[in-house]
Amino acid sequence: MIFIALGIIALALIGTPIFVIMGLVSLVAFSNAGIEVSAIGIEIYKIAAAPTLLTIPLFTFAGYLMAESGTPKRLFRLADSALGWMPGGVAIVSLVVCAFFTAFTGASGVTIVALGGLLYPILIEEKYSSKFSLGLITTSGSLGLLFPPSLPIILYGLVAKVDIDTLFKAGIVPGILLIVILSAWSIRNGAKKEKNEKKVFSRTELLAALKGAIWEILLPIGVLVGIYGGYTTVSEAAALTALYVLIIECFIYKDLNFFKDVPKVIYDSMALVGAILLILCCAMGVTNFLVDEEIPMQILDWMRTFLTNKYSFLLFLNIFLLIVGTMMDIFSAIIVVVPLITPIAAEFGVHPVHLAIIFLTNLEIGYITPPVGLNLFISSFRFKKPITELYRASFPFLLLLVFALILITYIPEISLIWIK
Amino acid sequence: MVNLLRLIDKGIEKGSSYILVLSIFLMLVFSVLIIVLRWIDISIPWFESFIRHLVLLATFLGGVLATGRGTHIGIDILSKYLEGQKLTQYKVWVNRLTYLASFGTLVWITKACYDFMIVELEYGKVEFLGLHSGVLVGIIPFGLGLIAYRFLFKFIDSFTPAGAAQ
Repeated sequence: MIFIALGIIALALIGTPIFVIMGLVSLVAFSNAGIEVSAIGIEIYKIAAAPTLLTIPLFTFAGYLMAESGTPKRLFRLADSALGWMPGGVAIVSLVVCAFFTAFTGASGVTIVALGGLLYPILIEEKYSSKFSLGLITTSGSLGLLFPPSLPIILYGLVAKVDIDTLFKAGIVPGILLIVILSAWSIRNGAKKEKNEKKVFSRTELLAALKGAIWEILLPIGVLVGIYGGYTTVSEAAALTALYVLIIECFIYKDLNFFKDVPKVIYDSMALVGAILLILCCAMGVTNFLVDEEIPMQILDWMRTFLTNKYSFLLFLNIFLLIVGTMMDIFSAIIVVVPLITPIAAEFGVHPVHLAIIFLTNLEIGYITPPVGLNLFISSFRFKKPITELYRASFPFLLLLVFALILITYIPEISLIWIK
Repeated sequence: MVNLLRLIDKGIEKGSSYILVLSIFLMLVFSVLIIVLRWIDISIPWFESFIRHLVLLATFLGGVLATGRGTHIGIDILSKYLEGQKLTQYKVWVNRLTYLASFGTLVWITKACYDFMIVELEYGKVEFLGLHSGVLVGIIPFGLGLIAYRFLFKFIDSFTPAGAAQ
């Protein structure tokens, strides 16, 4: 058995898709326990019973439509006219626009690809160093995944069986905290680099930019009012969002050709959705098997020998999740790790919503943590820079995010402020 | 022989792409229809089940496309290291191993899901529009089978100069 386990680990490390690894683990575990392997089919088919599953393809489709259209330019113009006059203004604008974008594209690397080419030359022109600009864009690629309707939040809710509406609400303040901390760093950096003329605030430009991006600005407001005003469920909000974005990009802004561009967007977005949901499908068997075998409780008993209270558990959890984040992408980590840690965290008295925010913040940091943080590779590819340069560029941002993580972990009110 | 396999692979890619576009539009239309009908107090119960099965279908067809593009999520430490060190020949062999392992595993899971489908066909019930639950379960072995084929083709194709260069 040990050789089979080592073989599976080796296959995972050489790059075999995670969904295949999960499937293989399920097959081996079921066979070993004398359970009919066709039970894996039952576990996979359970996916078709999840009512909120629809949100994943539709929100992702909407996000990809915006990424392919002129939305990044319009949003940048708007944010620049509103905040560009501040010290560090352009950097703050970049953070805000990326956060908006990531919330809709699900931190899948699309933000860096779609916005990186636009933001990097602007930052360089504004006399930011190449190192700072690369670090900022690389970090911003996952900033915003705590904001609704981000894909990792939806997936976490599905896997941990926590109300997605509540998670959406809980992520807002921690998400703003991350932006504020990075903005403060940008102001400090911006002031130092300010050699060019100061940008002047123009109300006319702001109004023109607002008029230009009005349809996109209405979108997040509509989603939040729809869900929290009780007018739509999360799934319905996803459907309306996808339809709305399709109409504005194809027929109002006319950035996309309905027959030529939309099918391509569907292929791109569904290739990502397929990759994520296949992991979910194949991992269902493993996670349910582990829960049935009471593995989380055995881990809990073992942990109790050296963890005595909630705070030591949270410290351990953060270290563990940061390590997980360096090795696994956020989607696999949610599917594999969440079912194991939720019962343990509950035993230590951690609120399930607080746990979700801690978990997602850790994994957000994982995107820029060497050696295999996903954003580091995407930026390296996008800007044609060596990966080691990206490690150095992102390091100050990594430290700032860890600081924010400590605040989020040890001050639960940041996450639970709007939760009864 | 490889050309025939390539033709089949391209057919799978094309067919999956068309069905995927159709699935997304049906998903969108029926989801919006549910909302609109609710405004006039009409509820058609099978709509939701239909949409959920479209999501299941889109999952597997999206997986088919991700397999062709090589964009499945993986840990990939060794592969990236070999690429960084310009050890292309070793990387090709590592890729072959992952394709073969993926193919073998998927054949096993497909068989397991096929067995479940047979049971469901015998003991299941009609879900909607006269469609039996066994047929709907069939989406799983069908999708996994297509993905398995694409991994097999990638393995075979990796021995051709064009395939090895990818």
